[in-house]
Amino acid sequence: MTPALLGNVGVNLALAFSLLGLALALLAYFQGDGRFLKGAKSLLLPAFLAALAAFLALEWALLTHDFSLAYVARNHSVKDPLWVTLVTPWAALEGSILLWGLLQTLYTLLAGRRALDPWRASLVLAVLFGVQVFFFGVMATIASPFETLPNPPQDGVGPNPLLQNHWMMAVHPVLMYLGFVGLSVPYAYAVAAMVTRRYQTWVEETRWWTLIAWGFLTAGKVAGMWWSYEVLGWGGYWAWDPVENASFVPWLLATAFLHTALVQQTRGAFKAWNFAFVTLAFAATVLGTFLTRSGVIQSVHAFAEGPVGPAFLGFFLLATSLGLGLLSRVSREVRETAFFHPFSREGALLLGAFFFAGWALVVVLGTFYPLLVEAFAGAKVSVGAPFFNQLSAPLGAGILLLMGVGPLLPWRRPKAEALRNLYLLLAVLALGTLLGLARGYTVGASLAVGLFLYNVAAILLLVREGVLGRVRAGLSPWGFLENRRRVGSLVVHFAVALMGLGIAFSQTYRLESEKTLYRGGSWEVAGLRLTFQGVRALDEGRRFAVEALVETDRFGEVRPRLHFYPQMNSPLPAPKVVYTPGNDYYFLLMDFDREKGEWASLRLIVTPLVFWMWVAGALMALGTLYILWPQARREEAKGVSPA
Amino acid sequence: MRWVLFLALFFLPALGQEGPPPDLSPEVFRIARELRCPVCQGESAAESNSGVAVEMRRIIAEMLQEGKTEEEIKAFFVDRYGEWILYNPPRRGVTLWAWVLPAVALILLALGLFAYFRPKKVPKELLEEAERRLKEP
Amino acid sequence: MRAWLWILLVVALGGLFFWGMQRNPKDLPSVLAKERRPAPDFALPVLPPYRAEWGETFRLSDHLGKRPIILNFWASWCYPACYEEAPVLEAAWRTYKERVLFLGVNTQDKEPEALKFIAQFGLTFPQLFDPRGRVGVDYGMYGVPETFFIDGEGRVLARHAGAIDQATLEKYLKEALP
Repeated sequence: MTPALLGNVGVNLALAFSLLGLALALLAYFQGDGRFLKGAKSLLLPAFLAALAAFLALEWALLTHDFSLAYVARNHSVKDPLWVTLVTPWAALEGSILLWGLLQTLYTLLAGRRALDPWRASLVLAVLFGVQVFFFGVMATIASPFETLPNPPQDGVGPNPLLQNHWMMAVHPVLMYLGFVGLSVPYAYAVAAMVTRRYQTWVEETRWWTLIAWGFLTAGKVAGMWWSYEVLGWGGYWAWDPVENASFVPWLLATAFLHTALVQQTRGAFKAWNFAFVTLAFAATVLGTFLTRSGVIQSVHAFAEGPVGPAFLGFFLLATSLGLGLLSRVSREVRETAFFHPFSREGALLLGAFFFAGWALVVVLGTFYPLLVEAFAGAKVSVGAPFFNQLSAPLGAGILLLMGVGPLLPWRRPKAEALRNLYLLLAVLALGTLLGLARGYTVGASLAVGLFLYNVAAILLLVREGVLGRVRAGLSPWGFLENRRRVGSLVVHFAVALMGLGIAFSQTYRLESEKTLYRGGSWEVAGLRLTFQGVRALDEGRRFAVEALVETDRFGEVRPRLHFYPQMNSPLPAPKVVYTPGNDYYFLLMDFDREKGEWASLRLIVTPLVFWMWVAGALMALGTLYILWPQARREEAKGVSPA
Repeated sequence: MRWVLFLALFFLPALGQEGPPPDLSPEVFRIARELRCPVCQGESAAESNSGVAVEMRRIIAEMLQEGKTEEEIKAFFVDRYGEWILYNPPRRGVTLWAWVLPAVALILLALGLFAYFRPKKVPKELLEEAERRLKEP
Repeated sequence: MRAWLWILLVVALGGLFFWGMQRNPKDLPSVLAKERRPAPDFALPVLPPYRAEWGETFRLSDHLGKRPIILNFWASWCYPACYEEAPVLEAAWRTYKERVLFLGVNTQDKEPEALKFIAQFGLTFPQLFDPRGRVGVDYGMYGVPETFFIDGEGRVLARHAGAIDQATLEKYLKEALP
């Protein structure tokens, strides 16, 4: 038994189980025979176990340095530390697809266990098995992680050094995949709903799945931003790179869906939009992989071009066609007939969906605009960060504005009390903005201060409302915390407002400066005094490091580094970040005197409030977790209001 | 052994190393962020550490010292690389549409949205459908 | 939503992406070659092995307008492309040295490594040293190796990005030679 054999057996078995499952689920639907459904369900666990075996086989090969596997030879080295070895399965294409497939089997297993009427159950299983067939089919044919080499090398080069520079890289891809895969379940339910023409209940049934996917996507994005900030050495967290955009689009659409799902649950409206949002969000998750691997668009994430581009394009088009095609078939039956008052909860949610969908549209247009121009005008153009920033600012501000007032508005019709609250909030917004202007901030940053205070005020009003309501009813005010959905969403909303403030300030006020210092020389910059004491070299086995010893008057000694990896032409700067509540001080060593170590070029980037963005990211994850915590579900199921 | 390699790696090329790079003001980075690094896969001249990006920052710093404006500096690079080098697509020519398209899309979406806030009649075919279904056994 | 709308969307997206896959996104046009601009002038130090014949510094304008010039940007760290094209260029130089001037610009490199590269391929056409790559920026160069073809009137005729092979080189030479 070798890892290659176990891996190939695992992949092929998972493919076979998924194909059989797909066939049985379709048979169950078309024949209306429960026995086929039972058969399909019995394949859920075997498919998962086969995928798990394949995944463990890859880990086994990496841990035993089995360089006869092409994947191991390309992405592993005996010098790699244990944690790097353990996360190497998702350091390159084939392993990532394996991880994706494994997580898909896990989600299919969990989703397939839910009780559902046999018609929709067979359709849900058919869609999910179909997704599995795609992933394991790709692995079994064009991108096998278990391809062997006739002449295995003694040692490999190890994974991309950028990926080994920070532990965050171990976490970010897994979180992203958990989020991407999570969207497949609502998609499967939506397809089943459209085929069986039962348009209402799927939204409620997949609420948890959407929220889980959203939570992982959010955590994954923030982890990626953090990694980008602390590792890439450019002092930024978001570059509007095509691949970042491709994963931002499903996040935007999933967020829109989370909110419009509420409208459908409460008022039965917005059915068509919900189908469209879920379809496009799921399809967009596949688009990102297509972009990275097909060489369609230049991106920092585009590594080696693989043969999987056309396969992912086909799958993307298939998923989109299935969802939108079914939607067009039933469009007459899901047409809106309801009337929405603009100052109602659903009115605000609808406007919010407009902003999220509009933002997604802007990001898609901007990302593919260079391709369009090249196709039709033959010219090469670039659409980059300045473009996206200018268009995103008003859209983000609109979302922050709606986020504050929305939850305070009653369903259907505005009440006098809600309007009073609205005036109060607008006063806070105006005061906050004026306060910012008085402190000399730019209009944009002042507005961000106003919007943050406005949202804080709105959350306080909501808490007051909830607590007072309980007190009036003679209940303990602490019981408000048991309303997990409300409390969790308030935490997430607060975190979004904080994130907005952090983004506005870090994008507006960023000081970046570079200076060459000779030994003993100092530099006064941004209220800081740096003295360069010299450089020193360290041998760390898989890499060499050169450290600059920089004495600062406020933070003691900081040591920004340059890492030299044998497989890289140019050194990678490893920044030293000092977080303070106000500003982040980001030290980089850019170059040094290679003869005597007499001088060093240092770059200092001072960015305000970045620390709070990471706090906001953690709060978003915590808020989502609070909503999802199992206890809340049991209570809801029993229909007992906790006192 | 490693240290020999290390020396070979860093201290021999020192023969070819020029003097230290010039000091770069925040203004340099602000301009460089709007210019694309030619050899990179989608990084700006401010972010990249490739040789060309380093040289571009140096050129920007020198031109600023000569009293050139931001527009003149950008024109210098457009003259050599074409408008491809601008990350902020100019609002004219083929890239005007990059700005117009999102605006048109947003307006269309907003019009669709507006329909929700107007009272409307139930479409005739839906009423017929409802009646037909009522009559079904 | 009408049925044709989504079909149109899917077909348009599929077509655009499929077309996108057929082309190389790194294939970028040269402004100089497109507009047939006069070749930007420069003065660069000549690498030691060529100083006896070509002097300390090489000024391009001294040679423009006399005969076609082939300007090749390379670096020793550019593996394998630069290593593939070096013998091709050297062979062509030996054939055409009477009618065409071949010029190598070592860019963003270190001198000892550049000399090692030159010795490895026994390059006999003049090699200039541009450690910072300023000339590359003037020519709108995206990455090494790149080869510019300058005609007898001193205008940029064409640019080839990436390693150049015998056939392509001959094709452009024919265009440049009257």
